[in-house]
Amino acid sequence: MNIVLRRYRVRLVTAAVATVLVASACGGDDGGSGDLAGELRVVTNWTGSEGDAFQKVIDGFEKKNPDIHVKVEQVPFDQTQALLTQQFAQGAPPDVSVALPGIIRTLSGQHLLLDLDDTWDGWIADGDYPESLRQVAEGAEDATEAVYFKGNVNGLIWYDPTKLANWGIQVPTTWDDFLAAAGKVKAAGVEPFAVGGKDGWPLTQWADPVLLRVAGPDAFHDLADGKIGWDDDRVVQAFTVLSDLMRDYFPKNALAAGFIDATCARAKGTYAFQNQGAFVNSIAPAECDKNIKPGKTLAFFPMPAYDEQVPAAQAVSGDLFIGAKATKHEAATRALLEYLGSAEAQTIWAKLGGYIAPNLKVPADVYPTSNDQAAAKLWPKGDVEAGYDLDDWIGGEIQVTYTQALGQLVRDHSVDKFVTTMNKVDTRAAK
Amino acid sequence: MAQQTTTPATATRMPAGDARAAPRPARRRRGDRVAWLFVAPLALIFAGFYLWPAVQTILSSFFEWSLLAPFDPLDTSTWYPVGTDNYTAALSSDSFWNAAFNSLVWLIVFPVLVTGSALLVSVLIWHLGRFAPVFRTVFILPMTISLAAAGVIWSFVYNSDPDVGLLNAVLRVLRLDIAFDLGPLHVRTGEWLADIGSLDLGFAQLRLVNLALILPAVWAFAGFGVVTFTAGLSSLPGELVDSARIDGCRAGQVVRHVLIPHLRKPLIITYVVSVIFALRTFDIVYVMTEGGPAQDTTVLALLLWQQAFAFLTEPRAGVGAAIAVLMAVVMVFLAYPYLRSLMGGGSGDEAR
Repeated sequence: MNIVLRRYRVRLVTAAVATVLVASACGGDDGGSGDLAGELRVVTNWTGSEGDAFQKVIDGFEKKNPDIHVKVEQVPFDQTQALLTQQFAQGAPPDVSVALPGIIRTLSGQHLLLDLDDTWDGWIADGDYPESLRQVAEGAEDATEAVYFKGNVNGLIWYDPTKLANWGIQVPTTWDDFLAAAGKVKAAGVEPFAVGGKDGWPLTQWADPVLLRVAGPDAFHDLADGKIGWDDDRVVQAFTVLSDLMRDYFPKNALAAGFIDATCARAKGTYAFQNQGAFVNSIAPAECDKNIKPGKTLAFFPMPAYDEQVPAAQAVSGDLFIGAKATKHEAATRALLEYLGSAEAQTIWAKLGGYIAPNLKVPADVYPTSNDQAAAKLWPKGDVEAGYDLDDWIGGEIQVTYTQALGQLVRDHSVDKFVTTMNKVDTRAAK
Repeated sequence: MAQQTTTPATATRMPAGDARAAPRPARRRRGDRVAWLFVAPLALIFAGFYLWPAVQTILSSFFEWSLLAPFDPLDTSTWYPVGTDNYTAALSSDSFWNAAFNSLVWLIVFPVLVTGSALLVSVLIWHLGRFAPVFRTVFILPMTISLAAAGVIWSFVYNSDPDVGLLNAVLRVLRLDIAFDLGPLHVRTGEWLADIGSLDLGFAQLRLVNLALILPAVWAFAGFGVVTFTAGLSSLPGELVDSARIDGCRAGQVVRHVLIPHLRKPLIITYVVSVIFALRTFDIVYVMTEGGPAQDTTVLALLLWQQAFAFLTEPRAGVGAAIAVLMAVVMVFLAYPYLRSLMGGGSGDEAR
């Protein structure tokens, strides 16, 4: 039963040029869309050790489905949106691609994505995912058109436990303790926070957890959905708290150093803390110093609550996958997407570290280091609300302006100016 | 095929439009026809790959479109005309004027630095004589590196951590940490790609970090000027310099009264090419700062790119096209002396 048909079946045509044209035009039409067969093109951003980890996940899929061949293309993160848009516009999109909510809703609005509602219905019913994560994967018209594959929790304050002990500081559990700790290291001549603002996005990593803790999850979601403006009292208060943090504890080079520089400078001891995502656990030993021991010389505590009245919520981000409606192998594409969202696939990477499985059925003990386990424990399981990365959620011009405006806030601490800039570009609430 | 027969036909009509040249000898006309036949393939490529996209860009700047809903001039179902809205949207945004100001800084500083440094280097190399080829190669080498790579290299030089950044390492060895205010000028060293001070011009604030980006571009581009000037200097008759020396000219006077007048054309070419280069600069800014911090180093070409390729959730490509058209107008205006020296200048010589 040879249903594995070569995708590029070359036809005998006399002219050489015509051969090329016809082969590319007709290639791939031979595996029926109902069969679990064909070659799938998958676009991802992961390179190096992350690329290897993803390939292991894909290997698991190909073992289960020997008739499906998956070709992974690695695309630089910041070029993904433009590349996907171009290929979708040309009608030749990758079958499956990594995507953030902003671009998912844009593509969904043009009816270019596979509807995955049935898959999600099953997952919710079986307890694989909480409802709040389904909202992250929603397209423009209330259909769920993406699967969550790689989770990440933010608002983690990374530090070196041995150094913290030397400074005589207890792990802060309240906001006041948090500020006191920052003040204490500053008084000892150590810069409190490594920031990495040159890359832009590390500043947004600060804004998300502060917004969730000060303004609360309701305001956070309303702001994300464009239901309230940036001049909402709760939002203004959150950015005032953030601006004060920047003024009092951000280093002089907050905008000059990038993420990797900041991460390694903290590991070296130039800075005491770094507010970042769970991925620091794998990046610091890999990029800075192989002797860093997660759990021993690298640990984190969650940014403490600002106000006990505000309901707890976890800042999350992460990577989703979408399937193109224009795929020639719909069954195979759906199978791969369902696999990527499954506990089975996610367990493969979770075992390798630097990864949080969004699927709740991935056992807690598969994570390799204590930091990975602790971060995975913070992953929202329906008990706390998930606040998905605000600017990744919104996307587009608002995202770019937001990152720039945060850079300006680091410099001039003018919340008024920040709010004005944001309200000018984000007119969704005004409409 | 039809085009090939019509092209010579229009060609013969074109000179007829010139009143002075109305009656032409038949022999000349036949020559024209053959000339146009030879030019036709190139003209077709030019029309297909330069003229048509340019026309499309201009047209598309009057429509609302995005990469996902592209504008096609031949398909009316893709037309969402917005009049001059894209232009008013561009011209009324703070981001545009901020980028325009940064582009202006590039436009003024970059050509002056390129022309000045290339002139200095080529005259010195010319003066050196014996080792000239070695030095010429050294200065031309950076030209062979792509601008993006040059940007990455200089990002390391500028890194604010003295254990990584060469510049700050040197300053640390010299124990230099400069920070001073001189009237409207504020300067400080250290954060080379974030904030090295500003110059308050009253109507706008010139962020000096732009200069930190211009410098690597000059480093990479000055080789072009060195090639051009060296070629010009090699055609300079030695007798001219010798006689100037015998007449009692000192070195400086030789440069001013003999070399520079001789290099008039290479100077114009280098200057205008670097003006065009400065206005369309994108890669080095994108690689080194991505227009940041905030929008301090955003130039027009980067803003254009963002409108078309980064702000994908909104149909903003029309605004990008409008910015492109505005930039093209400025560029044609600025490049006019160059174009004239290439085309008009040639026929002018013939007339003489």
